[in-house]
Parts: sequence; structure tokens; C-alpha cells
Amino acid sequence: MVVESKLAPIRKGLLEYLVLKIVGVRSAYVPDILRRLAGTEFATQEGTLYPLLSKLRREDLVLYEWQESDMGPPRKYYRLTEAGKAQLAALDDYWTLINRTVADIGH
Amino acid sequence: MELISVTARLNRSTLQFEDAAFQRLQAYLAEARGTLAGNPDQDEIVADLEQAVADQCTRRLPPGQLVVSLAVLQPALDEIGSVQVPGPAPAASGSAYAQPGRETSRPLQQVSEGALIGGVCTGLARYMGVNVWLVRIAAVLLLFATSGGLVPIYLVLMLLLPYAPRTGGNAQVRWLPGKFRDWNEFLRSKLSTTAS
Repeated sequence: MVVESKLAPIRKGLLEYLVLKIVGVRSAYVPDILRRLAGTEFATQEGTLYPLLSKLRREDLVLYEWQESDMGPPRKYYRLTEAGKAQLAALDDYWTLINRTVADIGH
Repeated sequence: MELISVTARLNRSTLQFEDAAFQRLQAYLAEARGTLAGNPDQDEIVADLEQAVADQCTRRLPPGQLVVSLAVLQPALDEIGSVQVPGPAPAASGSAYAQPGRETSRPLQQVSEGALIGGVCTGLARYMGVNVWLVRIAAVLLLFATSGGLVPIYLVLMLLLPYAPRTGGNAQVRWLPGKFRDWNEFLRSKLSTTAS
């Protein structure tokens, strides 16, 4: 579908923002994040999420801590750094701004 | 003779695979490595994926079955999905990281993660966007070509190059004397005060 090919890059670009939002609420490990996104337009997979989280970690926006699990090996719990919180706030503001622009333009 | 099963260590888990499943898994991980070529977090992402495969397979193994078959592995790999490079749609094929000029310029820093000595080579590799082993081999060749003249240069870089922010995880510096980082910070603070 032609429209779909234009929507895919929008979703891809917004995924990072949504991941920051999710780990901004409380620290989360990857299956938590996948579950939160499942069933939305942004449903994704580990193959996408791990490289994205590594990038965010290298940009010093998130960090992780190992937490023991009752079953299986310890898990990586991701949360926002101070820089991550600042960036999330900036993204929230910008998102509000472009939403307003999109709603206003063409009227 | 026939191979019955292969025992593989996937990050923190150990699992047995039928030969066909093992081949498929190797192909999947090799493809992931290829997509992530040049990514400084390649090893860590692959380790995360290995763990995801191990977790998925363990969950999907029917009761009483100990060896992961292709029938168990394939749906697991489908759910994990192939590795996608984050950010805007990557250009063309091949590694999105190896393309020169694509990445915004990065500062030249020492990178402790994955470092063998101080992180100068890992830092240079990241700066130039090439595989760290390429830099290390070049460094060893240069070491011989300069009959050891590279050693003081390396030490100066180790003492003066700033450190990339620590990102947790596999920050192992295997040979670096603990004091080096302190000396580095001390020297650079001295230099910046004399410069200003």
C-alpha cells in the first residue's frame, strides 16, 4: 500500500520517543517494553529494541541495572538518566507543538 | 556418523540444539553481526539476542523435550525478528554503520567498553567508524615499524585523551592500572587550567 510506505518511517522515527516514555514511567526490561507496545501501531521485536536501547545507552539517555529473576538468568532493567529525562521533556514539548501545528494547518 | 545434538552457550544460558536448528541459529547470529558491523555495541546486542533466543526456546520447549529442534527455534526467531538498525530508515543495503559520513562526527575519546588496554584503540575505531581489530592490528604493525616508538605515543594518548562516558554493562578494562584514569583526569584538569 502506498500510504503504508509513508507511515512506516514515521513510526520508526517515533519508536525511540515511545521507548523513552515507557522506561520513563518505571524501570522496565525488554519483555515489559515489548508488551507495552504490543497491539499498538508501534508493536516491535527484540531484534529492533536491543539495538535501539544500546544506542540510547551510548547516548547516555538510559542506563540499565541487572536484577535477579525468580526464573532464568538475571534481567537488564532500563531506566532514564537525568539527560534522558531532559530529552524526554523536550520531546514531549515538541510533540505537543507539532500536534498543534498539524491540527491548525489547513484550516 | 551423525551429529545428534550440539550444546551451545547463549550468553548466560546453555541449551542443546539439533544440528539443523544449530545451523539456523548460527546463520541468524551471523546475519545480526553483519547488520551491526561497525556498531560499537555489536557484542552486547548479540549477547542480548542470544539471551532472548535462549529464553524463547526454553519457554517453547514442549514438556519432556530437552533438545531444541528447528520447529521450536524458528518461531522463536520469528518473534525476535531480524536486527534493525535504529533511527531513520538506513540507506541501501549492507551495514548502516560502515558508511562514511553517515554518522554525525564523534569526539575522539577513549572507550573503556571492550578495551584491551586503555581504550585508545576502541576509541580510535569508533572515531573512524572501523572495526576495532583493524586498529589494533595496525597499531601492532606500527609498533614494530617504529621499533617501539609507538609505546610513548600510546601512553600520552592514554593520559590525555578524554574518556567516553561510562555506559555500564561490560566496562571491563583488563590491563589498565586503576590509577590511570585518575592521572588522566588530573593531567587534563591541570592542562585546562593552564590553558585558560
